[in-house]
Amino acid sequence: MDFLLTTFLNAMTLISILLLVGLGLAISFGLMNVTNLAHGDFVTVGAFAVYFVQSIGGSFWLGLAAATVAGAAVGFILEFAIIRHLYSRPVSTVLATWGVSLILQQVLELTFGLGAKPVTPPVDGTFDLIFTAYPAYRLILIAIALMILLAVVLLIRKTSFGLDIRTVIQNREMAEGVGINTRRTYAIAFSFGAAIAGLAGGLIAPLAIVLPQMGVNYLANAFFVVIVGGAGSIGGLVAGSVFVGGFTSVLDYQISPSLAQAVVLLAAIVAVRLRPNGLLNGVSR
Amino acid sequence: MIARDRNWLLVFFVCVALVAIYPFFADGYRLTVIRDALIFGLFAASLDFFWGRTGILCFGHAAFFGIGGYVMARVMLDVAIPFAGLLGLVGAVVGAAFVAGIIGYFLFFGGIRGSYFTIVTLAMCVICQQAAISWSSVTGGDSGLIGIPPLEFDSGRLHLDLGQDLPSYIFVAGVVTLIVFVLWSISRGRWGTVLVAIQDNEVRAAALGHNAPLRLLATFVLSAAIAGLAGALYVCMAGLVAPDLAGLLLSTEVIVWVAVGGRGTLLGPVLGAFFILRAQQVISSLNPSLWPLVLGCVFVVIVFLLPDGILSIFARLKALLRAGSKAP
Amino acid sequence: MNEVLLRAEGVGVRFGGLRALDSVDFTVREKQLACIIGPNGAGKSTFLNVLTGTLRPTTGRVCFLGQDIAGLPLHRIARLGIARKFQIPSIFPSLSVAENLSVATWAIASPSRSVGELMELVALDDRAATLAGELAHGQKQWLEIGMALAIGPRLLLLDEPTAGMTPQETLATAEMLLRLKGEFSVVAVEHDIRFVRALNCETLVLHQGRNLVSGPFHEVEANDTVRDVYLGRR
Repeated sequence: MDFLLTTFLNAMTLISILLLVGLGLAISFGLMNVTNLAHGDFVTVGAFAVYFVQSIGGSFWLGLAAATVAGAAVGFILEFAIIRHLYSRPVSTVLATWGVSLILQQVLELTFGLGAKPVTPPVDGTFDLIFTAYPAYRLILIAIALMILLAVVLLIRKTSFGLDIRTVIQNREMAEGVGINTRRTYAIAFSFGAAIAGLAGGLIAPLAIVLPQMGVNYLANAFFVVIVGGAGSIGGLVAGSVFVGGFTSVLDYQISPSLAQAVVLLAAIVAVRLRPNGLLNGVSR
Repeated sequence: MIARDRNWLLVFFVCVALVAIYPFFADGYRLTVIRDALIFGLFAASLDFFWGRTGILCFGHAAFFGIGGYVMARVMLDVAIPFAGLLGLVGAVVGAAFVAGIIGYFLFFGGIRGSYFTIVTLAMCVICQQAAISWSSVTGGDSGLIGIPPLEFDSGRLHLDLGQDLPSYIFVAGVVTLIVFVLWSISRGRWGTVLVAIQDNEVRAAALGHNAPLRLLATFVLSAAIAGLAGALYVCMAGLVAPDLAGLLLSTEVIVWVAVGGRGTLLGPVLGAFFILRAQQVISSLNPSLWPLVLGCVFVVIVFLLPDGILSIFARLKALLRAGSKAP
Repeated sequence: MNEVLLRAEGVGVRFGGLRALDSVDFTVREKQLACIIGPNGAGKSTFLNVLTGTLRPTTGRVCFLGQDIAGLPLHRIARLGIARKFQIPSIFPSLSVAENLSVATWAIASPSRSVGELMELVALDDRAATLAGELAHGQKQWLEIGMALAIGPRLLLLDEPTAGMTPQETLATAEMLLRLKGEFSVVAVEHDIRFVRALNCETLVLHQGRNLVSGPFHEVEANDTVRDVYLGRR
């Protein structure tokens, strides 16, 4: 029983991170149709932000706030300088964002040097869950991720800004026609997704190996989440995260990590073949 | 024959002539440098064959290069029969084609195009690279495999030892010339034309009766097979194989070679490989971590200033001159 | 009398509460030219969709050479010998005229005509090397007709073929269709009365989903009811 609970919670940890990273991608790739290959670097920036804040004496929570702001800032600059000019050129967006990703990674390496950066979690030790003792920090991470997800859903459903985003994404010209500033909405939506990804980076930093190149794995996995789960809905995002996160967690213990990744890739491709519109939307195309 | 084809053939023959007379001017080391550049040029041409005609970007093409290289390495190290080299080349091609076939089948017949395809191939490459690192019993892990013997063809009457600089140069030059020419013929013939039609309006092409997913799959598999061949050639010329050869950085470098050289021209990417590899050597010798930074900037610059590649500069100059001379 | 190619009997279509078509009969024979006209909202496009088999009628049926075609997949219908040209030109802009037609012929095991013949049929033989994307709008429509002809159909269905054409292009299109009449049957859904007049063929007038009048064009044109409908008095 304790093994089941541990595996379940491990899966939940991974799923939570994928949800947060995937959310930004669901906005940019799923809704705005922008293939941003620098998305993984928002996570990296967030992780480095926490490291940096801690290295100058700040608390983890301050670092987490910095991670979110850093993610938003990088996202905003990226959208403003590059992506905004390339909305109608998908291949160019891929190339340009990849270039930015390379540049970002090198800048981080040149600034902070080689070698993994240590980040200490805000709480140590485990929490007693009857059947097993589970690391307390991971439980906090899961809780935070779910709260953020809930907050985002409420924001999109219930506020006027959420309505603006949905209108702009449905039909940009119509939105302009009713007076919505679409440029600004796009910029804010994109930066918002980047901020959440930065937050995810900050959250995962105590558990991961913090290197400038750490973003690539999150990039690939996040794309799978959005593609398999189906772009355009929170339900799809959750379904995709559960699929990728759950599968990876279960496999991680049985076989080597890279083989596990390969299996997940294959499973994702097959899932896309069988359900091209996402896990929840089914077969019709 | 239309002008576009005439021009291509002209440039092609000039390049072949230059490659052919080069040995008279260069020593052994320089020959190997150009030989290796030709192999990477072949790799670039293989990506262009797919990307240039279908408009779909494969972001993990080095995976096929690496698969070809590792298969070749294992065959040359483990199999001790007279035609091991030939077997290795065939195995490399088949291995790369097989992986491309599986991934391509699920993607193309599932209706996946464009960005989705790009991302999946990116992930495929990341995984291949990781597999090369962790499957150390087969791949030699992080440090790869060394001591791979060069190709040798011995059929009694004919003995070709490709461990020597000049024979290996001639062999590679011959193979690359032949394959680039064949790819060009395919691209400008029926196969290539139907691919352009599919890129323009896939629904219409399908309504006319063309099997678009099958056509795309065949093109992708052929492109991967040639990348695998290039990988195999590189490995037995260089004598070693390592995970970088299947890696994401190489995948993106080959994209730059094609983008800078001129997507769709097949020759441009080969030239692009030449020049950028040279630039990379120069920059890396100044500071090893400078190259990815420069590479990243090149990506951004190409997108904004040179969307059609270097060769388009000539086309634009020509257009400017023509416009200038028309003005009264 | 020529053999009957397409026969629509008692065709009716309902979309929820809306009755788009009501008991329409229509017959097309071999090598016949026919037009379907009517004011906006009369149900012309709906009827054309039924005739091509893409829309299944709620009542009645459509048979091509005796076979019910409702709901058959697109390529099956093409194999039977029905070709359809859509309103918006659907060609390959990056390829030349000759290449566009070649792509159309390559998909067929034994094409009935060569690319050269097709180009002559649609009066584009002097434009073989022009990129399709650079053609005038009317020429794009002709190219598409040419591509539709590559499968050697017995019946060609045209959805507003002269939409967006200049008056000269419209007349040229009419001349082209009159030339083609000897090769196969053509049914055109149209708005432009000049075009229909130039064709001078069997005409079906739809109004509010019903068959108002049908017969040779000069009879239809002289019909008072038709005039009233078009002028809005009914």
